[in-house]
This record gives sequence, structure tokens and C-alpha cells, in this order.
Amino acid sequence: MVSDDVLRTHLQELRRGTVVVASLLALRRPDYGYALLQRLAAHGFPVDANTLYPLLRRLEEQGLLTSEWNTEESRPRKFYRTSADGETVLGRLLDDLAAVQTSVTRLIQGVEQ
Amino acid sequence: MISLTDRYLAATLRTVPAPRRAEIADELRASIADMIEGRTAAGQDTTAAEREVLTELGHPDRLAARYADRPLQLIGPTYYLVWWSLLRRLLTIIPALVGVAVGVLKATVEAQPHEAIGAGIATAFEVGVQIVFWVTVSFAVLERTRTPLDLPEWSVDQLPDAPVERDVTLTDTCASIAFLLLTLAFLPWQHYRSWVSDADGDNLPILDPALWTSWLPVLAAVLVASIGLEIVKHRTGRWTWPLVGVNVVLNLAFALPVGYLLLTDRLLNPALVERFAWLREDGNMDMSTNVAVVVVATISIWDITESVVKARRHNR
Repeated sequence: MVSDDVLRTHLQELRRGTVVVASLLALRRPDYGYALLQRLAAHGFPVDANTLYPLLRRLEEQGLLTSEWNTEESRPRKFYRTSADGETVLGRLLDDLAAVQTSVTRLIQGVEQ
Repeated sequence: MISLTDRYLAATLRTVPAPRRAEIADELRASIADMIEGRTAAGQDTTAAEREVLTELGHPDRLAARYADRPLQLIGPTYYLVWWSLLRRLLTIIPALVGVAVGVLKATVEAQPHEAIGAGIATAFEVGVQIVFWVTVSFAVLERTRTPLDLPEWSVDQLPDAPVERDVTLTDTCASIAFLLLTLAFLPWQHYRSWVSDADGDNLPILDPALWTSWLPVLAAVLVASIGLEIVKHRTGRWTWPLVGVNVVLNLAFALPVGYLLLTDRLLNPALVERFAWLREDGNMDMSTNVAVVVVATISIWDITESVVKARRHNR
């Protein structure tokens, strides 16, 4: 019987890179930290707040996201949006994700034959 | 009253680089407020919601490290192996070298042989601690500045030879060397600070001081050579016949002079015998001598037999 710890570690490893993909994808529509967190969770990407907020800043520093302060609502919020560079990177990441999926499928079929 | 959120923000921002502090503060404050609002909207009490949200965000220093993209380890995987091998190399040579040098200087230039071993060990320990400290600090700085080391890539040519089967454990070697060092230290110590004093309260050496110009230097040299044998034996990993030969020679070189000196009543300080009436009583001196000779002989024979048995077992 595999312990829960082992399983959790492997799942975490598998999920780690997908948070960036999901964020770049979701931020094609501009959003602020907490709303993005909710949106990702609703679409099956549960992310810890203390992971997502620093990640957004890092992606912004890398030029993959642009940001803008919105002061119209009840409290000022920083809205992020996927930049042109971010879109390029996202394209590559999605291709790779698809390639992984294809390889996995092929491997499954290969084993079954 | 200062709210928990304010305290949390202050604790987090303390270690975030100053140029980004204000912006991170504004954003994080808004995010925390959003999270609390999300919970109160679901019917939760504000105070409880605030506590929960801050608990979820976790340790302020950890969050700050994520914002600053700072490592949460002293020396990470990039540098760890280099750090460890450098440390090992420096520690196997330098402390022993400096310790011996200081000990020799103390014994010769300062003419204080009874303090030489203590001074040598203390210096070696100090040098070891300094090496560990400074090497570790340097690597911790490299880790934080992310300086590339540009070291040559590992290659298969660096593989060490297959390890020999070990008969000699490090514990055994250390214990033997410690025992030899203690015996070595006993020689000057008994001369300057034995627990016996003469009638005037002055220190009374246990061994005959006249031996310092004859047999004691020889015995000390044999002890030093025995330490060398222990080190060579540990490096070889087992008893070989040449090592057994050296061991026999060293054992004889120690036991025979000691036995000879004991039997001719020349080992103990005559003044010491003079001081203890019991030793002068009929037959007591002879009995003590015999017991001592048997003990020395037993230890030597035991040691020689053990080395022969181990060498045979290995070469069979």
C-alpha cells in the first residue's frame, strides 16, 4: 500500500508546472490575485495563495505578465494580464503539455498491445 | 489597535527588498482583504476569518522568501557536493598539520614538552572549527548571490577505485590512537604533575627521571610509530602481513624495554620507592614488578595475536 505522503508528493510534482500554464491561460482575461485564485480553483487548479501571489509577481518580472492598478472599485487592486511574450511562452508550454499527453497515450497503447 | 493583518504585513515586508516593498504591501493587503471578504460573505465571523486567512498564508518569512525568490536553505543542491568535498579535503589535512606543527614548536622552541600535546590538540580543533565556519559562510554567500562556479563537469574518470573490504573501522582506529596519545601524554605528565609529592610537597615523578636521557625517548618514539601504524592500517582497510610484521616489531620494541627496566628495578623513580614504605616491605616490590611484567606481556601478546588472526582470516 502506497502511503498518502508518497502519493501527495508525486501529485505535487506533476501539478507544479501546470500552475504557470493555468495562470497564463486564465490571465488572457485580466484579473487580480484573489479572483484568479478562485477562478483556477473552480476550473480544477487548486493553488495555495502563498504560492500564487509570489508567482504572479515573478511572472511579471519575467515579462510574461503585465499589470495595472484598478482604483475604480471599493479597494485598489492590481490586475494582471498575459503579455505578448507570455502568450509566446504559453504557446510553447501548451504544445509541450499536448506532447506529453500524446506520448502518455501512445505509451499506454504500446503497453497494452 | 494594530490589526493582525498589519502585524502580518510588517513581518512579511521586513525582509522583502526595499524598492518593491510598498507595492507588495498594497497588493498583499488587498489580497488579504479579498480573502477575508470571501470568507465573511460565506457567513464567517471577521476575526476568525482573518486568523484563518493569515494562517493559510503561512510563516511571514517563508512568504517573503517566495516574493524575493530567496533560498530557504543555507547551501542548496547546486553547491552542496562541492562544499562537502572541499570541507572533507581541508579537514583531513590542515588541522592535523597545524596541530603537529604547534605541538612541535611548543616542545622544542618553547621547551615545554608537557604542554605540547594539549596545545597541539587545542590548536587542531580550533583550526578545524575555523575551516568549517569560513567555508560554510562562503558557500552560503555563493548560494545567495547565485554565483556560477564553472567547475569541470563530473566524468567517469573521477570514479574512485572499488572500495576494499574494511576490517578496520574508524571507531577502532580512533580509540587506538586516543589510547596511544594518552600513553604518550602520560610520559611528560607524570614527570611534571604526578599525583605524588615528596616530603617538601614538591612533585615526585613516578618514572625514574634518569630514563629521560636513555629509554623514555625510545618508548615515546615507539608510541609515535604505533600511531603511524594505526593510520596506515586504517588507510589500507585491513591487516596485511607487512603491517603485522611492523606491529610485532613495535610491540616488542615497547614491551621488551619496559619489561627489562621493570625486572632490573630501573623503571620507577627511586625517590618514589623511598617515599612509600609499603613498596620497601619484604617481597612487595617483587610482587608488583611481576604483576606489571605479566600485564605488559599479556597486552603485547594479545595485540600481536589479534593482528595475526585478522591477517590470516583475510588472506585465506
